[in-house]
Amino acid sequence: MAYTKQQLHVIFGDGTLGLGGQNFHYIFSYERGGLESLVVNDREWLYRAPMPTFWRATTDNDHGSGFSVKSAQWYAADHFTTCQQVSVAVDGQPLTELPIAPVNNHYSNHEFADEVALTFTLATNTIPSTPVTLTYTVTADGRIAINAHYTGNAALPDLPAFGVRFIMPTTATGFDYTGLSGETYPDRMAGGVTGTYHVDGLPVTPYLVPQECGMHMQTKQVTINRNTTQNNADQVAQPMALTFNQAKQPFAFSCLPYTADELESATHIEELPLPRRTVLGIFGAVRGVGGIDSWGTDVENRYHIPASDDIDLNFTIELPK
Amino acid sequence: MQATLDWLDDPEVFRVNQLPAHSDHHFYQTTTELQAQHSSLVQSLNGTWQFKFAKTPADRPLAFYQPTFDASDFDTIQVPGHIELAGYGQIQYINTLYPWEGKLYRRPAYTLNADQLIADDFSEAPDNTVGSYLKDFTLPKAFENKRTIIQFQGVEEALYVWLNGHFVGYAEDSFTPSEFDLTPYLQAGQNRLAVRVYKRCTASFIEDQDMFRFSGIFRDVNLLALPAAHLDDLDLKPTVNDDFKGGQLAVTTKLSGAAVTNATLKLTIKDATGQVLATQTQPGAAKVTFDAFAFDQVALWSPQQPTLYQLTLGVYDADEHLLEVVPYQFGFRKVELRADKVIYVNNKRLVINGVNRHEWNAKTGRVITMADMQADIQTMLDNNINADRTCHYPDQLPWYTLCDQAGIYLMAENNLESHGSWQKLGAVEPSYNVPGDNPHWLAAVIDRARSNYEWFKNHPAIIFWSLGNESYAGEDIAQMQAFYKAHDDSRLVHYEGVVHTPALKDRISDVESRMYEKPDQIAAHLDDNPAKPFIDCEYMHDMGNSLGGMQSYNDLIDTYPMYQGGFIWDFIDQALFVHDAVTDQDVLRYGGDFDDRHSDNEFSGDGLLFADRTPKPAIQEVKYYYGLH
Repeated sequence: MAYTKQQLHVIFGDGTLGLGGQNFHYIFSYERGGLESLVVNDREWLYRAPMPTFWRATTDNDHGSGFSVKSAQWYAADHFTTCQQVSVAVDGQPLTELPIAPVNNHYSNHEFADEVALTFTLATNTIPSTPVTLTYTVTADGRIAINAHYTGNAALPDLPAFGVRFIMPTTATGFDYTGLSGETYPDRMAGGVTGTYHVDGLPVTPYLVPQECGMHMQTKQVTINRNTTQNNADQVAQPMALTFNQAKQPFAFSCLPYTADELESATHIEELPLPRRTVLGIFGAVRGVGGIDSWGTDVENRYHIPASDDIDLNFTIELPK
Repeated sequence: MQATLDWLDDPEVFRVNQLPAHSDHHFYQTTTELQAQHSSLVQSLNGTWQFKFAKTPADRPLAFYQPTFDASDFDTIQVPGHIELAGYGQIQYINTLYPWEGKLYRRPAYTLNADQLIADDFSEAPDNTVGSYLKDFTLPKAFENKRTIIQFQGVEEALYVWLNGHFVGYAEDSFTPSEFDLTPYLQAGQNRLAVRVYKRCTASFIEDQDMFRFSGIFRDVNLLALPAAHLDDLDLKPTVNDDFKGGQLAVTTKLSGAAVTNATLKLTIKDATGQVLATQTQPGAAKVTFDAFAFDQVALWSPQQPTLYQLTLGVYDADEHLLEVVPYQFGFRKVELRADKVIYVNNKRLVINGVNRHEWNAKTGRVITMADMQADIQTMLDNNINADRTCHYPDQLPWYTLCDQAGIYLMAENNLESHGSWQKLGAVEPSYNVPGDNPHWLAAVIDRARSNYEWFKNHPAIIFWSLGNESYAGEDIAQMQAFYKAHDDSRLVHYEGVVHTPALKDRISDVESRMYEKPDQIAAHLDDNPAKPFIDCEYMHDMGNSLGGMQSYNDLIDTYPMYQGGFIWDFIDQALFVHDAVTDQDVLRYGGDFDDRHSDNEFSGDGLLFADRTPKPAIQEVKYYYGLH
């Protein structure tokens, strides 16, 4: 349909909530626990719903210090976190019930709003479990503001990382970011120079044993560039871009063709799967890499992520003008 | 003299007929050759050699050195090169334990069995692979009527040499040049050189470095023609006056050859711009000490300004005919350990922004080229690295000159590491430590100290001699220090392992050196009125994605004058390119990937550079912190 109004078209589906605008269309899935589809200019940006991420592929120092053994619960949480509850608010008004049939029977195909917010409450697969909420607030211009909130729990081990992982259907041709040069971590960013940088492709830093890599601390903005889709009716390569902006605070990100789990499983770089997707992690907390030794000494205390403290991560997804 | 195999079992036999170690100077027949830096007195024997591999000493071709030997079933091999990388013998990477761990029970001679050799421990061992090398060569024209020396710059680990059927000599100490006089056995026309290399001998107990374990002729082999009067050794002692303005130079030389007594030595000293500062002529003698040179003003050598002076020494015969000309670049710099227990170089507190560097090439192992060395120097300069510890052996000869020229401080380490003899599963257990206090192992380690000193004594870049690595400490290592103290007052001595034997601290190491000490522990030590300045001989273990928290070490530099920096572990990943049949790509492999057991797997991947010499991302952090001081 043609969008003449400067408002979001809201589709109150039975399993999903759709939000449309002039050059975008989003689908939030109640079953999948998040944003299932992010279409801009008729092209899809998501392969699976974004999920909170807690793991990083074990570094040699993590291995030597036994960190991954102590924090192994977060490995499971990274895979198996489940959605417990979804809530929807339209123009600031929370809906008392999830708008699926029969609750949504009174709507039409002509529902509009200035702002729709969905909050997905997830439970970590840890003992004890702790809630994580992912809130998406979509405005009529197509902008998505995302808040990821981790609820601190002192009974849990230190976190390897906390962020939101976006898996895109095809590999990126590269990315551009405003932040620090090179690969940086909280305890290794003094040498990073602030600037705007372009990275070709999705380089995986070729550590002898594949491990956590490619982190960029203190980032204001990152734009992912792709030119292919999986849509059988859209086979012509043409550039497309999606931008993630900081909200109040800078974020950290890595953009790789692999999940932490895939990196974790390989003993050599050539054992990694053929690159076929883009895995963008936007992080609100990153653990240091350490370096005193690789056989027992942990990362310095100030670069740990204590499980006891709440973590809030805020950023936005902006559409191309 | 006949060679015997039981030398492999005897720690007191480590050099037979080997010429004395001497300075690493080059020599040329003419000034034209000098300008071209190509000496007709040096003939490379690198290239294709005949080769026969044997899995054990018993399987070796016994009479292969006889001129009549039929070598038609020999293969060929490239020299220099590792036998294992040529496809013979299994590649193995192992760290602290000895490479025969779990396969063979061995203890060092003269340790647990009191005062005895262990017969056949290496000479009849099932794990001691043998390379038999043959090289036929024709003596170059320029060599006729001259004494001829063969120089092996590095052979791992025990080397026997024959020429035309005659036994020439024997050497151990894999990382030090070994020279033998071939003159008595040379013949006109074709000559047959035979070299036998054993992978193991008693030296295996003291060459237990954390690295891939290789064998073979892995550095250059040269024939050297010595003129009728030849400079065997050049000993330069430049000193800086207390005012740091003027300087002195003492020059002592050793000469050999029939024409020495009628020879004349003409020495010229030029500054960095080529201006002649001094000349002096002395009559030839076995030992010639020049009158001391004094200079009112000298430009000091430092990493910031590595100024080198040029010495040229011409050796002339009785008819004023030039026999050889020797150039040497030297520098003035003053290293002091002052009463405030701080090391100063040229009146400034020393701050080491260092790395440990193994010699490595992912295709050829420890066989590295001049281009590799130059690339490493450039990487150091590009990233504010001002110091290199030659872990844990002497490097190839050109490295020291490159560091002089680039302004890289050197901690010149001996070829000594015996951690398998005292470190077990992370615990200190020195029940059969060598060299320890053992008199039967003393001569071998003193010889290593002497070789390291004699070859490299003229290099201004060297500010520390290092006695070795992770070998515990006893009387023998104390004697190594005594050797350096007796020969060299222009440098300091470093050794970390004395940390385990505090009673020897007065006799071993001018510095308190530790490895991988935590920043707060270093601060606690320095707050406790320590006796010596502090250096991290190894820190910031850069394994995989690492090198976090460097700020805490940097802060120590600002807080404690006695904290004098350290050497990051380490410069380059040790891993090997292998063609992977599954992906049809050349990929990097590490320990355990060659079915090698016991192995320490990826533990050798600790470099600031990946094994192919591309920098790891963390190097930008090194450049930043090393740029602050």
